[in-house]
Amino acid sequence: MLNHRFTKLVLPVMLAVIVVLSACSNKGGSEPSASPTGTTDSSPSPSASAAAPESNDDGLFNVSDFNNIKTNEGEAIAGGTLNYGLVSDTPFAGTLNFNFYSGQPDVEVLGWFDEPLLTWDASYVYTNDGAATYEVSEDGRTFTFTIRDNVNWQDGTPLTAEDWEFAHEVIGHPDYDGPRYDGGMINVQGMAEYHDGKADKISGIEVLSDKQLRITYIESNPSLITGGIWSYPLAKHIFKDIPVKEMSASAAVRQKPVGIGPFKVESIVPGESVVFVKNPDYWRGEPKLDKVVLRVVNPSNVVQEIKTGGVDIVGSFPVDQFPDNAGLSNVEWLGAVDRAYTYIGFKLGTWDAAANKVKPNPDAKMSDVNLRKAMWMAVDNDAVGKQFYNGLRWNATTLIPPSHPEYHDASNPGITYDPEAAKKLLDDAGYKLNGDFRTKPDGSELTITFISMTGSEIAEPLSRYYVQAWKEIGLNVQLEMIEFNAFYNRVGDTGEDDPSVDVYQAAWGVGIDVDPAGLYGREAIYNFSRYASDENDRLLAEGLSEKAFDKEYRLKVYKEWQELMVQEVPVFPTLYRAKVVPVNNRVHNYYIGDGTDMYVYNIAVNADKAIAAK
Amino acid sequence: MGKTITRRFGIMVPQIILLSILVFLLAKQMPGDALTGLLDPSVDPAVIESQREKLGLNNPWHIQYWDWITKAIQGDFGQSFRFKMPVLDLIGERISNTVWLSLATLILTYLIAIPLGITSGRYNDTLSDRLITGYTYLGFAAPLFIFALLMLWLFGFKIGWFPTSGSVTPGLEPGTLAFVISKMYHLLLPATSMALITTVTTVQLLRSEIIDIKHRDFIHTARAKGASESRIYNRHILRNALLPIAAFFGYELTGLIGGTIFIESIFSYPGMGELFFSSILLRDFSVMITIILLYGIASILGALVSDLILGLIDPRIRIK
Repeated sequence: MLNHRFTKLVLPVMLAVIVVLSACSNKGGSEPSASPTGTTDSSPSPSASAAAPESNDDGLFNVSDFNNIKTNEGEAIAGGTLNYGLVSDTPFAGTLNFNFYSGQPDVEVLGWFDEPLLTWDASYVYTNDGAATYEVSEDGRTFTFTIRDNVNWQDGTPLTAEDWEFAHEVIGHPDYDGPRYDGGMINVQGMAEYHDGKADKISGIEVLSDKQLRITYIESNPSLITGGIWSYPLAKHIFKDIPVKEMSASAAVRQKPVGIGPFKVESIVPGESVVFVKNPDYWRGEPKLDKVVLRVVNPSNVVQEIKTGGVDIVGSFPVDQFPDNAGLSNVEWLGAVDRAYTYIGFKLGTWDAAANKVKPNPDAKMSDVNLRKAMWMAVDNDAVGKQFYNGLRWNATTLIPPSHPEYHDASNPGITYDPEAAKKLLDDAGYKLNGDFRTKPDGSELTITFISMTGSEIAEPLSRYYVQAWKEIGLNVQLEMIEFNAFYNRVGDTGEDDPSVDVYQAAWGVGIDVDPAGLYGREAIYNFSRYASDENDRLLAEGLSEKAFDKEYRLKVYKEWQELMVQEVPVFPTLYRAKVVPVNNRVHNYYIGDGTDMYVYNIAVNADKAIAAK
Repeated sequence: MGKTITRRFGIMVPQIILLSILVFLLAKQMPGDALTGLLDPSVDPAVIESQREKLGLNNPWHIQYWDWITKAIQGDFGQSFRFKMPVLDLIGERISNTVWLSLATLILTYLIAIPLGITSGRYNDTLSDRLITGYTYLGFAAPLFIFALLMLWLFGFKIGWFPTSGSVTPGLEPGTLAFVISKMYHLLLPATSMALITTVTTVQLLRSEIIDIKHRDFIHTARAKGASESRIYNRHILRNALLPIAAFFGYELTGLIGGTIFIESIFSYPGMGELFFSSILLRDFSVMITIILLYGIASILGALVSDLILGLIDPRIRIK
């Protein structure tokens, strides 16, 4: 639930779950976004059974066997205290405001006491069920928002349209030090002028009354209504006297944060725990729990904490520890498809910093599509998922993961494992065997450099498997395992690609909007493979065009795009992943994943104390 | 003595400047910076670049160094990129945790080491000595993080005597008695786990000192003069045997603020060790450099304190 639903946009994720250096996981500077409420079939079908998901005979699990909504047992009591474990081996940073935070652990804290003004429906499109409602103008560029009358800050001050405007003004301010001044912000009319100091007001934002705000955007496209609107207000009555530069370090963010959510922050021990009490004034209704105690729990202790009932629920659970604990008697395991995929990319060019776009190099070592296809055919990701992750990660087929069930093209098999066909493909393309390894079609030696990130115990064996599989088809691939920062530096996060890298393995967490242009577009610096083609440009543009407001059309476009990526293989997806979390049997109305139509304020417990494992 | 101290402080200044340059250079050699991890396609790379520019990350190292050192001299160590708060406030938050933990560990270490060391040295090659040396070998061999996990599992989860995470029970009002007691209660298990491992060096040191000293001529003389066994051990042997340990005490000061990443992360106890480690990983330069500098200064001061202690308790050594 909490941590999961905020990830709007794409961010890099580590190859494996936090096992050793979860410090790196802090780096996922994700954009917060409102919880997609309403139902979506993205969640694995909730069946009625409360039984723990069972592995099949091989000890394998399947995400479709998990519920994502906790089965309620017994009668909920009035009040009670819920213990929440924030699983991390680093303290949380403590930037407790949606407008300023940048790390995953902080979001888990934020989700209890604050929330966005807008909510989402099944297709991740804004609805009118949240704390504010909206109307769109004919041309789709002007939005008029109305905040509900009973929405108040937790200190009792009514939330006003000015607070919403103020959030935009702070994020657009030149002194602002957070990561939220992004494409969505710049899309607000007049924002760029305001940011550059040419205007003292954002011309596109107009406060109509205490509760009404009008925002005009420069461009309207389907992405705007799936997360392109900034819907987190900033309490003007608290922040107006603090210079923008000092806001993120202020007590109003770090010690006494005030939100509009179902729980209020009562006390904070920096980096290690937070106590929340219920906010009886919460606009949806009075929360059922009296108190929530959040505490940082080290991944190596999380199983013990769960067994003893020290925590009822956790924000995330190290998936490698799941198989040994699948049978715990005091919890129900919830599971959902994660919005992320692991992939292997091929370097096909460089970044042209002057023109701000990718520069494909037709002579790159990996530029032959047959070579890339053969490398995809040579790896058995199904086996990888089973061997390394007990089935909780599985073979990926296209670049839109099944966490977006409408857009993920389940009928597209990708390229399937077939080492013999891979060999034949290489033979036909002129990569002749010379001794153990193949040479290039011109007869010169072919050595491929493959880089991968360190970080988990599995990282290296997994990468070695790929090297081995490529050796089987006669390719000489040299592996280098490197640390997170160095990895992205060499792959080219600043546009200075390391020319010695040919192939790399990385992972992306994807946002709720499916538009992949930020990762595969011609002008995207994060298009690390540096692939570009006219057809790709066309499809990505079509996906955001006027016509794409029609969902059927947009579905069709992205289906074609997924197929194009399978044909061209600038990168190929390797694994999709599931997330699983345990929930103590006493907890009611808990859920994970998107679109469950459930809300935090309804979470309850059926006993005073958590149940311990037998 | 005063002269010595003044001179040592005089040397300290260039030492620290040199250290800071070295640290700065090495830090800048690391690939990536604090913004590397913010791979968010919705953020225009130009915005990230302008942030880099604003933070001065694009300047040549000597300019960055100059900017930093001139501010540092005025007590402004900059802002942590990750925590978005002044480095000094951040370190202040963590260092108090670490100092309390280290102090508790230090006290426990000596409480364990001195009786064990004396027993072991005085009655060497008896059964109790064998047991104690056996324990020290185990201590040398056992990795701290495994041992700490084991202790936590046993006393935290199985028997349930101690809290399992954090430095204080959530929700207590700072400054109240309950808060202080809870802090101490939370310290016990991590401090004991660490002390049981770190004490073995001191036990061994004390043991070998005592064995060495008890065969010296002046001990034979004392015996010949009819001094009682307990007087010989308490007055003659122990005083001499404790010399190296006392001298070592100065260096322990560095340890006091150093913290231990393993203990801190296993017990989810926010301290300096974790802060240092994660700021390296996340390239939070301002925090990292300030901490290294702090460690550097502490170890230089520690060496000075050690020398002073040695001069005070051992009349043979006079610092000139």
